Amino acid sequence: MKRALYVALNEVRLYIRDKGDLAFGMLLPIVTFALMYGAFGGHTLFEATAPIVDEDGGPYAARLVAQLEAVPGIDIDRLTAAQADTRLERSDLQLVLYIPAGFSDALAAGEPAQLVFRQRGNGGQEGQILASIIRGVAGDIDREFRVHRQVAAGLAGAAVPADRIAVTVQELLDRERRQPAVAVAEEVVGGSPDFINQFLPGIVVMYVLFSLTLSARVIVEERKRGTLERLLTTRLSVGGLYFGKFMSSVFRGFIQTFILLGLSYIVFRFFTPVSFLAALVVAFVFAAAAAALGMIIASIARSEDGAAWIGVVFTMTMVMLGGTFFQVAEGSVLDTIGKISIITYGREALGTIIAGSGTLGDTVFQLTVLAGVAVVGLVISRLIFRAVPGGK
Amino acid sequence: MAEEFLVVKDLHKSFNEHKAVNGVSFAIEKGEIFGLLGPNGAGKTTTIRMLSTVLEPDSGEVVIGGHSIRQEPEAVRSIIGVCPQELALYEDLSALDNMVFFGRMAGLNGQEARAQAMQHLELMGLVERARGRVSRFSGGMKRRINLAIALMGTPRLLFLDEPTVGIDPQSRNNIYETIRGLRDRGMTILYTTHYMEEADRLCRRVAIMDAGQIITLDTPRQLKSQIGSPDQVTLEDVFLKLTGRSLRD
Ligand SMILES: Nc1ncnc2c1ncn2[C@@H]1O[C@H](COP(=O)(O)OP(=O)(O)OP(=O)(O)O)[C@@H](O)[C@H]1O
Ligand SMILES: [Mg+2]
Repeated sequence: MKRALYVALNEVRLYIRDKGDLAFGMLLPIVTFALMYGAFGGHTLFEATAPIVDEDGGPYAARLVAQLEAVPGIDIDRLTAAQADTRLERSDLQLVLYIPAGFSDALAAGEPAQLVFRQRGNGGQEGQILASIIRGVAGDIDREFRVHRQVAAGLAGAAVPADRIAVTVQELLDRERRQPAVAVAEEVVGGSPDFINQFLPGIVVMYVLFSLTLSARVIVEERKRGTLERLLTTRLSVGGLYFGKFMSSVFRGFIQTFILLGLSYIVFRFFTPVSFLAALVVAFVFAAAAAALGMIIASIARSEDGAAWIGVVFTMTMVMLGGTFFQVAEGSVLDTIGKISIITYGREALGTIIAGSGTLGDTVFQLTVLAGVAVVGLVISRLIFRAVPGGK
Repeated sequence: MAEEFLVVKDLHKSFNEHKAVNGVSFAIEKGEIFGLLGPNGAGKTTTIRMLSTVLEPDSGEVVIGGHSIRQEPEAVRSIIGVCPQELALYEDLSALDNMVFFGRMAGLNGQEARAQAMQHLELMGLVERARGRVSRFSGGMKRRINLAIALMGTPRLLFLDEPTVGIDPQSRNNIYETIRGLRDRGMTILYTTHYMEEADRLCRRVAIMDAGQIITLDTPRQLKSQIGSPDQVTLEDVFLKLTGRSLRD
């Protein structure tokens, strides 16, 4: 047992010396994390610049632009029609709002007025969000306009001056805007944007699973180096050798997760000390399951390339089935198929803890499945494992 | 007659119908350097792999230090040291790390392993490079480390499978001296080599193997006297006479 531990330590030492493996195992998760943070961590708000061509120049166009500008996160970029056209042409812009000439006049005359979106393709994700914000603002203006006209029509003949009606109605509308009948309150939970809650667990477990490809190589590499055979002439038992390799794989997977979770703790602050420890427990059990599967591959593979390929195909299948990159509807066929992927269980368990919606107690089912995979995988791989082909 | 430390009886091993070792029997006395010679593919390495419990024999009996390799492989492994024909090292680790690791595998504690490692590195003239990464070592240095690792845990029986292949006369001399020193301290050694002169100088007795069988076994002097005056013929003459001149493998 003690010797198995030395085998594991030796393996870890080799891993640290191997720059490529180290980069793959440690740096890549950190880079992914940094990218995620850059993309989603800094701001939760939608921010965009709305390119607008105002060919109308009238009061209603001005009001539309002013109200758009008042939307948080939206900046206005006024362009001439020619500028907008060239930029659209060059794909510098995906979507432009045109306020056609005569827009204000039409509204003033009580006629329907039109806004035009010019866009490339579907306008891009940002364009689509912008468009819907613009529609909302235009809808508000339209509604206010109708209210003005209806009030004016209703009071027609009464001895109220038209400008007085307009001012009163506007005051009412402004008050309404400040205190809407249906208010939407935004509550940010734990300071964590939704994307992170949804994908971080998947990404974390995915990296652990990737490390399985490295683990799958440990036996073949040792054999090729000749040290496997040499070890078999020492007091180290085959079981000890085997268990040492397994432990080193668990350790590697666990350290990776530890780094990612630690960064999340420091940067996103999703954890309390207790939930952080709980997440580490999940990480450990998941790393053990992944390592056991890695050992099966290691026992089957006859060459380093073979081990790498089986490892990659296996992990990618698990990652895809496990819903790492997309949300799978509950009860769907994909959801059912996903149950064969250990990613699913790791993701769910880690997700429960990261989202703060549960404690370790709520992940007992997932942890049991993962521990079962670890034990069964270890037993199976030990049974197939032959240190020397045709030998022990 | 001196105590026999290793006894091999009628050892057989085939790889897909090919008889790599075909009925080998011999015995090595305690404290003896025993040479196992033979052309490429004769079955020397296969024999050593079986004796060192790596490969299971198809049939035959081997007893080392009173322990049968079949019944008590653990006991056997605790008294043997193996220097394999191919380098078997962690090139990314330092010489010292390699030796300490294998020392631990041989049952030493950390302190003992470090002490022994330094002692063996000294013996091999590699103390200054103890902390150097093995991948940056020359071929001769790697060979010496390969041998030094086999000494960790002070085994009672050493298997040396061509320990001097591809190295300069200085390194080779260093290895000879080391091996003689070990024998003087009572270690039993099974030695294979393709350098006949080397076997002649080092070994008390040699066995010449061909096609999986031992075709002769005696002291170098006796073997030489079979074909002429022992002071005029070489062991190489004997070897070529017995195994023929056709190429192997
Ligand atoms: N794992 C194996 N699978 C198949 N054949 C093998 C295997 N190991 C050895 N052989 C064959 O057994 C025979 C004996 O090989 P072995 O390595 O024991 O020879 P050797 O005497 O050590 O040769 P050399 O001097 O070249 O090292 C050779 O024909 C070799 O091809
Ligand atoms: Mg050989």
